[in-house]
Amino acid sequence: MGVLYLVSLLLGITCMLLLDHRFRLFFWRDAKAAAIVTAVGLVFLLAWDLAGIRLGIFLRGEGTIATGLLLAPELPIEEPVFLIFLVLCTMVLYTGARRLLDRISLRLAERERENV
Amino acid sequence: MTYLWLALAFIAAAAVAGVLFARHGAWRGEAGKHWKAVGLAFAALAVLTAVFDSVMIGMELFHYDASHILGVKIGLAPIEDFAYPLAGVVALPGLWMWLTRKRKDSSSSNLKGLVPQALLASRPVSWINTAYPFAAAMLLTTREVDWVLIVGTFYFLIPYNLAMYGINDVFDYESDLKNPRKGGIEGALLQPHLHRPMLWLAAITNIPFLLVLAFAGGPAAWLSLAVSSFAVVAYSVAGLRFKERPVLDSLTSSTHFVSPAVVGLALAGANVTSGLVILLAAFFLWGMAAHAFGAVQDIEPDRQAGIGSIATVIGGRRTVRLAVGLWLVAGAAMLATPWPGPLAAVIAIPYIVNCAPYWNVTDTTAARTNVAWRRFIWLNYGSGFLVTLIFILQWSLTS
Repeated sequence: MGVLYLVSLLLGITCMLLLDHRFRLFFWRDAKAAAIVTAVGLVFLLAWDLAGIRLGIFLRGEGTIATGLLLAPELPIEEPVFLIFLVLCTMVLYTGARRLLDRISLRLAERERENV
Repeated sequence: MTYLWLALAFIAAAAVAGVLFARHGAWRGEAGKHWKAVGLAFAALAVLTAVFDSVMIGMELFHYDASHILGVKIGLAPIEDFAYPLAGVVALPGLWMWLTRKRKDSSSSNLKGLVPQALLASRPVSWINTAYPFAAAMLLTTREVDWVLIVGTFYFLIPYNLAMYGINDVFDYESDLKNPRKGGIEGALLQPHLHRPMLWLAAITNIPFLLVLAFAGGPAAWLSLAVSSFAVVAYSVAGLRFKERPVLDSLTSSTHFVSPAVVGLALAGANVTSGLVILLAAFFLWGMAAHAFGAVQDIEPDRQAGIGSIATVIGGRRTVRLAVGLWLVAGAAMLATPWPGPLAAVIAIPYIVNCAPYWNVTDTTAARTNVAWRRFIWLNYGSGFLVTLIFILQWSLTS
């Protein structure tokens, strides 16, 4: 039984939260909204997984780095953790991109004012 | 092809939701930026997916029924797998923008300081007191570090204390206001507007862990987790307020520290021996004594706030004597456990020496016992050290 995958995912989540904390992007900007987005994202993606499992598309591997513990047939306990990571990664990228775009347009506006 | 249809169905749902959210959530001129940021985020996610999906498939974490996929792959990742990040990035940022519209500044400042406050309120200096009993009980039984041990230890280190002290501070607000001792090493005053968020934080950080730990164990673990969680809530929540019911307050408080050990034993599937029961009983008495003695210093503020405790009811002097007696019994009980358990009897002595000077304390001088209480926090570290040495001895004797 391996915990490498689970530990990597938790580490990934920690890193996302550190970015979030450092730049006040998601949970550190509006914790309630961030919690709702994370929960909605998790439920949506989990429903997708379950549909895929039901249709016989997704099959769990026998990788040695996974714990091998299942929440449901073909659904390892790592899956929801991965999905949470995916949602956090998505939102950190999006909010980060917004921050960058805002900064760029602000700088352009300043430059224009200087040129006038 | 099945996977493609499934993916398209979910992407369509996500796209509809994303467009609706963006239309209702964006202020004038914001939509353009929103979709640009969505595009940038997806570009990054696509690269990450190509790399990490390939790694995950390469590590045999999961695979696909070949008859259901198109067969077009980027690296090892089937093209359909990119539907996950696509759907996520189309819908979720829109939801976020909609949720955070208007109240951009007010709500964030509203919750400002919740996490630091919660951490301070959870008395980090005492975190080890609940994590250690769990970890020690489980490790000494299974003799290996597995994921349940790691998850459980983390749970009893932080989320459990967040809930215990967070709930406590919310419902203790009244008496804490009148108690200058709170706010430093032993806890913090919690602003009223943070009360509801604090209870939410306690629920969000605890329930997932409880479910995972319950999932990892059988009926014994379920029962002990239920008792443990009930004790955490019942101690301070309005309506139950076990902390204001003499004797029940000390019993519940002690349960806070002994139940993690019982959960650890249940998850590890330990054999119930008489030695083990005596050990737990001694630990329980030690916890009761610690709580009872701690309540003495608060006699005055508690009475002023109309709050009852074992000490306000039976008085400071009798409470101190009861605590010393309980430590004595706890120490004596350890003498009845198998070797090297009797060594632990020594641990009772510093507690008795620390508190015996208050043998004749009165309710008006009760606040002075805070001096002993402060030493007590560090005494616990010393006891933990001795207990660890005894555990190591026991480990080497039985291996």
